[in-house]
Amino acid sequence: MRLSAYPAFTTTAFQARLAYRNQVWASVFGELVATFAYIAIWTAAFAGASSVAGVSLPDMITYVLLAGSLLNWRTDRLINELGESVRTGDVTVFLLKPFQYPGFLAANHFGQYAFDQIVITLPVAIIVALTVGLLPPASLFHGLMFLPYAALSWLILFCLACLAGLLAFWLLTVFALEWFLRGIMALCSGAIVPLWFMPSQLAAALGYLPFAWVSYYPSAVYLGKLDAGQSWTHLGIGLVWLVALGSFLAWLWARARHRLVVQGG
Amino acid sequence: MLPIISADGVGKTFRQLKRQSGFSGAVRSLFSRDYSEIRAVDGVSFAIGAGEAVGYLGPNGAGKSTMIKMMTGILTPSAGALSVLGREPHTHRMTNAAEIGVVFGQRSQLWWDLPVRDSYDLNRHIYDIPEARFADNLAYLTAMLDMASFLDRPVRQLSLGQRMRAEIAMALLHDPKILFLDEPTIGLDVVAKDAVRKFLAEINRERGTTIILTTHDLVDIEEICPRLIMVDEGKLLFDGELKRLRASLGSRRRLTLEFATDPGPLVLTTATLSADEGAAKHFVLEDETVSLIDVLNEVGRGHGLKDVKLDEPDIEEVIRTFYQNKPSLAGAAP
Ligand SMILES: Nc1ncnc2c1ncn2[C@@H]1O[C@H](COP(=O)(O)OP(=O)(O)OP(=O)(O)O)[C@@H](O)[C@H]1O
Ligand SMILES: [Mg+2]
Repeated sequence: MRLSAYPAFTTTAFQARLAYRNQVWASVFGELVATFAYIAIWTAAFAGASSVAGVSLPDMITYVLLAGSLLNWRTDRLINELGESVRTGDVTVFLLKPFQYPGFLAANHFGQYAFDQIVITLPVAIIVALTVGLLPPASLFHGLMFLPYAALSWLILFCLACLAGLLAFWLLTVFALEWFLRGIMALCSGAIVPLWFMPSQLAAALGYLPFAWVSYYPSAVYLGKLDAGQSWTHLGIGLVWLVALGSFLAWLWARARHRLVVQGG
Repeated sequence: MLPIISADGVGKTFRQLKRQSGFSGAVRSLFSRDYSEIRAVDGVSFAIGAGEAVGYLGPNGAGKSTMIKMMTGILTPSAGALSVLGREPHTHRMTNAAEIGVVFGQRSQLWWDLPVRDSYDLNRHIYDIPEARFADNLAYLTAMLDMASFLDRPVRQLSLGQRMRAEIAMALLHDPKILFLDEPTIGLDVVAKDAVRKFLAEINRERGTTIILTTHDLVDIEEICPRLIMVDEGKLLFDGELKRLRASLGSRRRLTLEFATDPGPLVLTTATLSADEGAAKHFVLEDETVSLIDVLNEVGRGHGLKDVKLDEPDIEEVIRTFYQNKPSLAGAAP
């Protein structure tokens, strides 16, 4: 097969979501309410102070959109799809095709991610920008650096979600794993509370775990809270995490495939 | 002719962890090493040549789907050697997948939310089908399977018959050398079944696509597959032409003689009495060389014979007889 199949999966997934476009209004509204709730909470927490621990309120408002909406995307679709298809044996349909299933999943869910970002996050970001305001990247360097960080963030979260979904193969339940990952992400990725505001020992520990590369580090880079040297170092550490998670995923997938006793039909 | 599929003593044993019921059972089974073994396929050997159409037949749980899954590379055989197009299917999953087409009657390969045409277009990328070839194939399949009316409708809106036709077309777009079908006519009405059968027979004849199909519907076999492989409990029972199966069982025609009045007991040398209803008597013709004339000559004129009915055994009956006589015949299979 040509590699062009993978971009085709992405556009196809995007189109498939487009077929249900009239269902997104509820999502847009829900996202808007949640975003303004967080903004209100941070406004109250700052209580008129211009900055707390070197972070200003406009920083935090931008952080809410970056770390929460843009980077910490909803993985439940992916986990359910993978978990169910492995559990019911539907994954065999994909084994009948000349492509790599994990590659297919990544391409497909990137299409869905793009759809969510354009249809849900973008309108919310525009509304926030016009009402309370959003910050541009701290500098050109930080703006450019944000791009590899965002890509890294997406891939790390993709790997984590796939690991959760694949575990359903052994544990035969997807639901619990989905909640587990969502809880971990909320706490450890910095999607809700950035590591700046956490107790220093907890922040130090979380700062080395892969979850922090999903929300916290990319947002911190965008806002200019990491200098050039730190930015490069953490990009390197993040890449190591990605390779580690990717290898673990490949190993688990190989084992799952090996043991894949598809349900009789 | 060099076979394109050859199975040599192929077996598949499923090891299943014994699950206990309830929550504590689920926890216990996490640590339990208590397995039950199911021999889904057991020492099956056959060779299939290019261009053949083979029906794979057997009762529920006979191991048909398991065999298809091994030939398509989804499952690894636990015994024996299997070769498809000169390769071991499970170790060459990708190359194998590019050269075969598969249809599972119970599992859709189309994209649920997309128009049929978009699923096909995706296949064009996946199988790297040249533009012109793709257009030709699509036009041919659309005409043959009468799909023009629903090509642009989302799959979730299609009827089962439409969906199955779309599935079969999808499996053929990349000109596979072998087409595997696991119960392709399941759930279809008579008209749809007929359309699918005619099409498969045609594709086998015109394009020389090798067809392997499993089914419970014997008419499928009669209309598509000159060759029949029969399995039960994982073992091969019969491999050969349907005609030969009929012959090897003897044709066992059934004869009914109706008389104006009960002629009393009637014993014949040419036919064996199977049921006596008085005026109507049922016989079985064991010997193939015996003709109706022979029987009528033996009965003679004196009994007031009113009507005669001779039934050729249909395929359902051939198979039923076959299963009933299984122990004695299993050894006779080649
Ligand atoms: N994943 C599995 N784990 C354990 N046993 C299995 C598995 N898949 C199939 N079996 C068993 O293997 C045997 C053969 O199953 P298979 O699905 O091949 O039958 P089949 O001939 O296709 O039957 P049907 O006509 O009902 O489709 C059955 O006893 C089935 O229970
Ligand atoms: Mg089956």
